[in-house]
Amino acid sequence: MKNYLYTTLLAGIALLFVACHDDLNQSPIDPDSFTEENVFANVTEAKSALAKVYASLALTGQQGPAGDPDIADIDEGFSQYTRMLFNLNELTTDHAVVAWGDPGLPDLHGMYWSSSNDFTQAMYFRLAQVVSFSNSFISNAAALSDPEVANFIAEARFIRAYAYSVLMDLFGNVPIVTVVTADLPQQNSRAEIFEFVETELLAIENLLPSSNEYGRVDQMAAKALLSRIYLNSEVWTGVPRYDACVNYSAQVMNSSYSLHDNYAELFMADNNSNGAQNEFIFTANFDGLNSQTYGGTTFLVHAAVGGSMDPADYGINGGWFGNRTTKNLVEKFTLDTAALNAALGTQSDWGLVGSATTNGWNGPDMEMYQTGTNTYSLYASLGAGELKFRFDEDWGNNYGDDGANGSLEPGGANIAIAPGNYFITLDLNTLTYSILSAGDKRGIFHTDGQNLEIEEIPAFGDGYAVGKFTNLDSNGMAGSDTGGNFVDTDLALIRLPEIMLNYAEASLRGGGGSTSTAVDAVNAIRTRGYGNTSGNITSGQLTLDFILDERSRELYWEGLRRTDLIRFGKFTTGSYLWPFKGDVPEGTSVDSKYNLFPLPTNALLSNPNLSQNDGYN
Amino acid sequence: MKTAALRVVIALFLCPAFGLAQNIVSGTITDQATASPIPGVNVVVKNTNSGAVSDFDGKFTLSAAKGDVLVFSYVGYSTKEVVYQGQTSLNVQMSEDTALLEEVVVVGYGTARKQDLTGAVDLVTSKDFNQGPQLSAGALIAGKIPGVVVTGSSGAPGEGQNILIRGLGTLQGAGAASPLIVVDGVPMGGGVGGERNSLNLINPSDIESFTVLKDASATAIYGARAAGGIIMITTKKGKGREFQYQLSSSVTSNRPLNQVEVLSADQFRALINEIGTVADVARLGDQNTDWQGLIYQNAVGTDNTFSAAGTATLLPGSANVDVPLRFSLGNTNFDGILLGDSFNRTTASLNMTPSFLNETLRFQFSLKGMYNENKFANRGAISSAIDFDPTQPVFNGSQYQGYTSYVDDFGVQLNLAPINPLALLNFNDDTSEVRRFLGSVKVDYDLPFLNGLTGTINLAYDGSNGHGRNITSAFMPNTDTTFNGSFYSYMSDNTSKLFEGYLTYNNDIAEGHSLNFVAGHSYQTILFEGSDYDSEEEEDGQADFRTIDRSREVLLSYFGRLNYNLNNKFLLTASMRADASSKLNPDDQWGFFPAVALAYNLVNFGEGKGLIDEFKVRLGYGEVGNVASLSGRYDYLTRYEGSNSSGAYQFGNTFYQTYRPEPNNPELRWEVSETANFGLDFSMLNRRLSGSLNVYRKLTRDLIASSSVDPFTNFSNRISKNIGNIENKGVELNLNLGLVSTDDTSLNLNLNGSYNKNEVSQLPYVQEVGGIAGGVGNNIQLHTEGEAPFSFYVFEQVYDSNNRPIEGLFVDRNGDNTINGDDRYIAGDPYADLQFGINLNFTHKRWDFALVSRASLGNEAYDNVASSKAYARRATDREILTNLHVDYLQTGFQEITEFNLLSDHYIQDASFYKIDNITLGYRLGNIFPNLDARVYGSMQNVATFTDYSGLDPEILGGIDNNFYPRPQSFVFGLNLDF
Repeated sequence: MKNYLYTTLLAGIALLFVACHDDLNQSPIDPDSFTEENVFANVTEAKSALAKVYASLALTGQQGPAGDPDIADIDEGFSQYTRMLFNLNELTTDHAVVAWGDPGLPDLHGMYWSSSNDFTQAMYFRLAQVVSFSNSFISNAAALSDPEVANFIAEARFIRAYAYSVLMDLFGNVPIVTVVTADLPQQNSRAEIFEFVETELLAIENLLPSSNEYGRVDQMAAKALLSRIYLNSEVWTGVPRYDACVNYSAQVMNSSYSLHDNYAELFMADNNSNGAQNEFIFTANFDGLNSQTYGGTTFLVHAAVGGSMDPADYGINGGWFGNRTTKNLVEKFTLDTAALNAALGTQSDWGLVGSATTNGWNGPDMEMYQTGTNTYSLYASLGAGELKFRFDEDWGNNYGDDGANGSLEPGGANIAIAPGNYFITLDLNTLTYSILSAGDKRGIFHTDGQNLEIEEIPAFGDGYAVGKFTNLDSNGMAGSDTGGNFVDTDLALIRLPEIMLNYAEASLRGGGGSTSTAVDAVNAIRTRGYGNTSGNITSGQLTLDFILDERSRELYWEGLRRTDLIRFGKFTTGSYLWPFKGDVPEGTSVDSKYNLFPLPTNALLSNPNLSQNDGYN
Repeated sequence: MKTAALRVVIALFLCPAFGLAQNIVSGTITDQATASPIPGVNVVVKNTNSGAVSDFDGKFTLSAAKGDVLVFSYVGYSTKEVVYQGQTSLNVQMSEDTALLEEVVVVGYGTARKQDLTGAVDLVTSKDFNQGPQLSAGALIAGKIPGVVVTGSSGAPGEGQNILIRGLGTLQGAGAASPLIVVDGVPMGGGVGGERNSLNLINPSDIESFTVLKDASATAIYGARAAGGIIMITTKKGKGREFQYQLSSSVTSNRPLNQVEVLSADQFRALINEIGTVADVARLGDQNTDWQGLIYQNAVGTDNTFSAAGTATLLPGSANVDVPLRFSLGNTNFDGILLGDSFNRTTASLNMTPSFLNETLRFQFSLKGMYNENKFANRGAISSAIDFDPTQPVFNGSQYQGYTSYVDDFGVQLNLAPINPLALLNFNDDTSEVRRFLGSVKVDYDLPFLNGLTGTINLAYDGSNGHGRNITSAFMPNTDTTFNGSFYSYMSDNTSKLFEGYLTYNNDIAEGHSLNFVAGHSYQTILFEGSDYDSEEEEDGQADFRTIDRSREVLLSYFGRLNYNLNNKFLLTASMRADASSKLNPDDQWGFFPAVALAYNLVNFGEGKGLIDEFKVRLGYGEVGNVASLSGRYDYLTRYEGSNSSGAYQFGNTFYQTYRPEPNNPELRWEVSETANFGLDFSMLNRRLSGSLNVYRKLTRDLIASSSVDPFTNFSNRISKNIGNIENKGVELNLNLGLVSTDDTSLNLNLNGSYNKNEVSQLPYVQEVGGIAGGVGNNIQLHTEGEAPFSFYVFEQVYDSNNRPIEGLFVDRNGDNTINGDDRYIAGDPYADLQFGINLNFTHKRWDFALVSRASLGNEAYDNVASSKAYARRATDREILTNLHVDYLQTGFQEITEFNLLSDHYIQDASFYKIDNITLGYRLGNIFPNLDARVYGSMQNVATFTDYSGLDPEILGGIDNNFYPRPQSFVFGLNLDF
């Protein structure tokens, strides 16, 4: 009996031991956790893996809006790619200031960042991670022999090339890694990265699909990115490649991408469908319900709202009282009526009178300029009210418009007018007139309660607020998140006007091409911006400085400003100043080392092969 | 023990021969020390049913045969066995069970006499526990053991304590350094959603003793789980023939003790009039509302426990089986001082310890069950009550049931505005129920073919289940105009199954040489399953408004230990454990944890002659691991994680779930701690003074930390990685002084003190930790080589001649004429250098008095409440009025900036001396026949002496923010024994 018990005991224990050891090899049993076999089982699954490669430039982790971040050491919302791009490429310039005092953030506009800056570090991590995600996708997807997967792979190579183009711009000298490996990589020079990006883009420009569904790139994306890197080649490699820039820009301009007719709609909640998508070559996509993040356009809209702005006017539930702009950007939109008028012709005795004019109904009148026989014009800034045309400040000879039909009658009815800048023409030959809105609609500023001048960066009321990005759609309806937290608006990382301006600039810098094409391109952009041709320029007005300003007007807050200022030698030097450049109120030059960001201290520590950029420690 | 067993065997053989010769024997049982008779003693003829109980004069009568073994037992006295020689009169003296060195101590996989111990082991038995209703087991031993720091996590009822033994040996914070708790041989773990503390399963009044194993020579038998030390909890078992019943009841009144100091309504009004715009001033109200006063209440708690312990006879007649058993049923029902907080726990436990085959086959059945209902008050109210404008009334007729709210022109709550603290409390209903069942069976069988060899099997099932729901009323102020309330519910299950089998060989191999050998195997699997549901996600049309989480872990071990005892003089212990965890790469799963210890009894038990009674020196070395620091269960694998439905990405018109490759580290290894310990145990002056001294050095290698990695080489910038070493060094002294010991008066004093130093001895690069509130992404602490882990890393504030900090002015410590991150310096750490416990027990006749107090010296804290809530701009920012912390009156700071937040102005010395507990009791005696009663009054959280200006200096981790204040409690209790 006892022996039997003992034997059973021993046998039982022995059996258990054997069974137990196999139990040590556990694999995930969570329904949200997958292995390589699951993820690369077929085209459908692989597309979800590709979605991550794209999403890593738009979202911050696997749980929208936050909770399972891709990268550590920084607030998850801060770690979003386009938000950091704003911080590094816009906040560092005349385009933006931010009220918040989070670590590393004031350093950016003040231009005194160090290698431990949270944002430069997180951006380095983010882009390196995009490279790792791409590398993993490219090598794993290669096992699937499907033509659609071949497209996926070309797209992942594009994303990797894009990530390296930004790394090259921001950090210069980073390792080129094309496979997933734990081996510590060697550092490459900026010129080597340029060569890598160029080679990759040239290799995939025909592998990519000629057209693709919304949100995925096609061949023009590769050509557009080539246009961008060739434009900056002189800065990045020392070798100018403006001819190549002209060549690739022209290919994009001649493609099926076309300018949308309404500038404001490019930054609205329905910009994936309102026509704006026709000029979007590469986008980061957001959705108030399905693709939530505290970065992206949610950041661009919320952070810009504060003060007297009504959040509902931007389709959101509240402002974050953060971003504003400096007077430098505002002034780029100022209509210099005196200069414009002087260019029209000679001052005449015909003038505008009325409650909308400077001096009201009693005059003196705002005199118009003669542009031809019996034709007169004037650029004027008018208030709300009415006006009439009058000769020599005498009611004896005046015209108004009975029936508001565009034809003038002597002593006719007053013409009602809303406040704004106008280009007004008077044709006494035909007794007609026109009142065209003059000036650039692209400068979307909120001025009520805001000071143009910045005295204190933390005060939201200092500096004009910017209402360019909104969560309202083109019908004025708010986006899909009824809570008003998360924004639907997509953000173009590359859109057609940039390439058009690249063409004009490269052409002016000696890249060849056609001046008239360049002027036409710039005027197309300006006509859309003004809503009419009043802002169009002549070939004589197309200068490099004009193009830099035009890029500001067209592309502000879209992540290109720092790169542009560096190309024009204005980022660190004293030749161009803005409020609190170099952390002094009137602005000052800073060390030229700030043309590149430092490699993060943590990256240097974890990879001894890396050496720091000049001037940083 | 061995001789007793021998006698049993002899008795068994002799019984048939002499069984007929029954005599009547009678006598008196007296106390050995006082010579007074002891009533109620159980007298049993061993292995029979015949027995008796002594009367009030200590007299007993029963029949026995010559050679029978008479067993005398009584609670609080050592059980005595006498071989009956046939006499008619038998007087017996019994001695109280207090001789320190005779105590049997539970160690891993066995027990040991205290005099045979070779490691640093402390025992606290129930008579020394902190009194009053302690809702959680950990609180029973706070301040009792040198080197063991017990910190309650907050003032909420039923919440647990963090226990830290010998300092912090990991970079992952006090949580990962917690000791392994083993209850009656079953390692505790797990934890489910909705519970306040996973130890709530154990009713503190069921606990017989705590054994704390501190050094690795003692803990190494638990290998990979022992780095934080081991706490062995032994619950009370049935003993004695007759059933003893106990009913303990108490009622507690808890009151809020103090508040965060904020500007009064008048101060705030004056401030806004001074700094605000006309619009700001117009926003002021005319009330004087003490928001913090409104969210806290006086709260009542009751605690009732009934227990029965004795021996039950099953299967009457000749086949009877004696089953010593203890049953208890307890209920604890406490309200929290934060309005709406409550904790209601019912526990039941049953321990049965029958034995068979002449006690060679012994069973220990243990069943424990708990049902716990919680209401969680919304702790957002704590911060909101600090922030909310004190000039406003509670109600102003808002659309949110009238609760004063900051609203826009349409009456809708403003974004980023504080929510009325009372609305937060009243419109939120957060409740949970937790059920837990622990069943275990331990079987010991003395194998018949080899004397001294015992086989043991230990099986345990531990299942916890938490259900909870958080309902927010549609009236809760919300920026979303379409908000119609929300419902969130969750469920989680944690199931642990344990199998252990081991053999123990215990024998005297020769005269003076005794040997104890244990070898065995352990297997544990832990399965976690959870799910949740979110009504708002469902309304938003998100696909995964229900989620499921699941993971499993397996731990597998072999262990062995050898004890050798030479003439009770020289003692040797050697042990080895091999552990494998499924959390590690299969190629790297096994860890081996050896230990060895030597002890020498200079003066042995029973040899001392008054001046020095016992004196032992010990020396030990051992290695242990830390499996808790491996936080992920599959970190070594390449895995892909799917995104949730709000983290999808749009291609065309479709949103795709995304798959992210997860960061992984196939090279993860255990953290391994090596501890060397030197100790002394002594007692002297007729045992009036006893104590122990330990000196230790613990080096933890291969610390796992979330560590930076070249981001091009992995899928994140951080992975869990073995990166550095920590060294803990310290000295511990424990002294027990019997100052007075007379017939009716005793005064005992326990003094314990410890010094501990934690130092990161190797770390390739700095790790910032310690996230703080105010701004986004600020860290106040760091790990760096040569300093304590979690050191505060701050800017040095410059003060003016009036000792007022000058905003934005900091010492340029590196002299490079700019103030940046390089000017930060280390200003202390949150872990104390010195800890003391001072405990006093006094009895006089029927009175008893106890005092428990603790001191903690050299710990710093960061006042995050002051640092994030004391800026002028905050008062009027975003067109909302927000109250300020009074520190503003001292600093006058304008802006919340990275620099101000990280100013050393907010680091303070948080050393303290706390009187935790004063208890006064009175024994009513036998007010009815066979009924003994004691009444007591107790006060908890009596007084705190500190220079720290925040709410409470005792904050785990040292970052003081949004702390649920500890109440002061008054307890009245009654214990009845019958």
